[in-house]
Amino acid sequence: MNPFEALSRWWITAAAVVITAILLSPFYWVLLGSFMTPAELFATHIVLIPTHWAVGNWSEAWTRLWPHVRNSLIVSAATSIGTLLFTAPTAYSVNWLKPRGRQALFSFMLVTQMLPAIVFVIPLFIVFSKINLVNTLFGLILADMTFTIPFALIMLSAYMKDLPYELVEAALVDGASQLRAFFMVVLPVTLPGLITVGIFSFLIPWGDLIFALSLITEGGLQPLTLELYKAVGQYGIDWAFLLPGSVLTAIPAVLFVIGASRFILAGVTRGAIK
Amino acid sequence: MPYLFILPCVLFCLILLLYPVIYSLTLSFRQATVDTFVSGDMPFNGLTQYQAALADPVFWRAVIDTVLFAFFSILFQFSIGFLLALLFQANFPLKNVCLALLLIPWVSPVLTAANIFKGLFNEAGPINQIGHLIGLGPIPWLANPAYAFPATIVANIWIGFPFNFILLYAGMRSIPPDVYEAARIDGAHYWQRVAKITLPMLKPVSVAVLMLGTIYTVKVFDLVWIMTGGGPANATHLLSTYAYQVGFSLLNFGEAAAIATLMVLLVLLLNLVQLLLRRA
Repeated sequence: MNPFEALSRWWITAAAVVITAILLSPFYWVLLGSFMTPAELFATHIVLIPTHWAVGNWSEAWTRLWPHVRNSLIVSAATSIGTLLFTAPTAYSVNWLKPRGRQALFSFMLVTQMLPAIVFVIPLFIVFSKINLVNTLFGLILADMTFTIPFALIMLSAYMKDLPYELVEAALVDGASQLRAFFMVVLPVTLPGLITVGIFSFLIPWGDLIFALSLITEGGLQPLTLELYKAVGQYGIDWAFLLPGSVLTAIPAVLFVIGASRFILAGVTRGAIK
Repeated sequence: MPYLFILPCVLFCLILLLYPVIYSLTLSFRQATVDTFVSGDMPFNGLTQYQAALADPVFWRAVIDTVLFAFFSILFQFSIGFLLALLFQANFPLKNVCLALLLIPWVSPVLTAANIFKGLFNEAGPINQIGHLIGLGPIPWLANPAYAFPATIVANIWIGFPFNFILLYAGMRSIPPDVYEAARIDGAHYWQRVAKITLPMLKPVSVAVLMLGTIYTVKVFDLVWIMTGGGPANATHLLSTYAYQVGFSLLNFGEAAAIATLMVLLVLLLNLVQLLLRRA
């Protein structure tokens, strides 16, 4: 339904572009601001384009952040893969093999979505302290998976529901085992869903602060978000470091949105509307 | 075989989801402070933690602020999302580009948004720079509790509007076009069609969006923790940041767990209120 039937689509395009630009203007500020000196950033009059591009902000931030970027990459990739390993067979089984107790499992997943992070953070901190998982990336991965697994199972279930089960039956008739059918038929057919869920299961730990803040106190193991969080406060705010760092943190999300917006759109709306 | 497929996931859920939830609940009835935590025996002391939390004025302020934070965040996220969704029902060039770009605030890490808004609301930042152009003096947005709290809401609206937008957008797309066409032939204006067709037919999606919005907004932690840390003078705490402070700064895990339990009750209560409002 076109809201402005009288107007040409060029006017609607113009309106949409202007509105999008306004809504994204905070990104404009952080992006160009990351190339400004603090003096320019917070001058009396607003500076829209940096007069001298302070590329040094970026190279210094990158040098300081690289070890933390690496930690974040390890944790996010492992969380994403782990989440898919745990949830893909479960989502398939729950939808098509109908194990008993599947309703209970699914309801429990929904309930955990309602619980605030603090419900998990405190027990995990206490228990992990006792079994020496505090200050390990493995502990952080396990903790992040408490966020991603319920969410991934709910989202993947919506994809698995659409699986044409005749394909699996055909494979079974041809003598394949359930396990083989799962790998050869189910996984390839639901690949778009797996990719979408995998992306989200990567981005959630990538942006996590609360678990890293509570479980990782050792500087060398801290992920990107925590290093940037620490840059605020102690000696005032080092904007020349904080702004490029903040942009850097958003890069995977931006890349995924540009590369896979169709997948993301389908994934999000599927889960909530069905 | 069905059970083999779900076994790893079920084990994970029992050990890392169910056990912590039960642990948190029992912890709320125990005295778990620095001393008892180190010695390892955390003695039961009934409702003491709950009484301590309920007697604390900061707790009640955090309750009220959590509700206000959720209410205003969702009100604006939903309204902006709804209007955008209406605009995007038309087909126009660059539509998919704009749509993808508008998702960025939502998929980006909260830390990025929090730091951006910390800068925008800086006393010498762009918002005051623009204010200066029209002759306003600098406003200490984040240093003054009266401004800091709305500033965090503005940031949260920005993070959350895309989620409302895409869900409402998809919901609107699933309304059959002939319904609109029939109304148009009968002479209904655009806004009449929105009010009489879009709104009622979108109700199931709107309900889902509002429910999820409530759940997500009550959980917000990073944004406020980074932007204000609950300060100045404990004036911008949400229950999430307050519970975290009690737990990890004051090292009173028992009381933090009690606040966590009360938070869950608040989420249930808010959803119940919404349910009753819909019935009425």
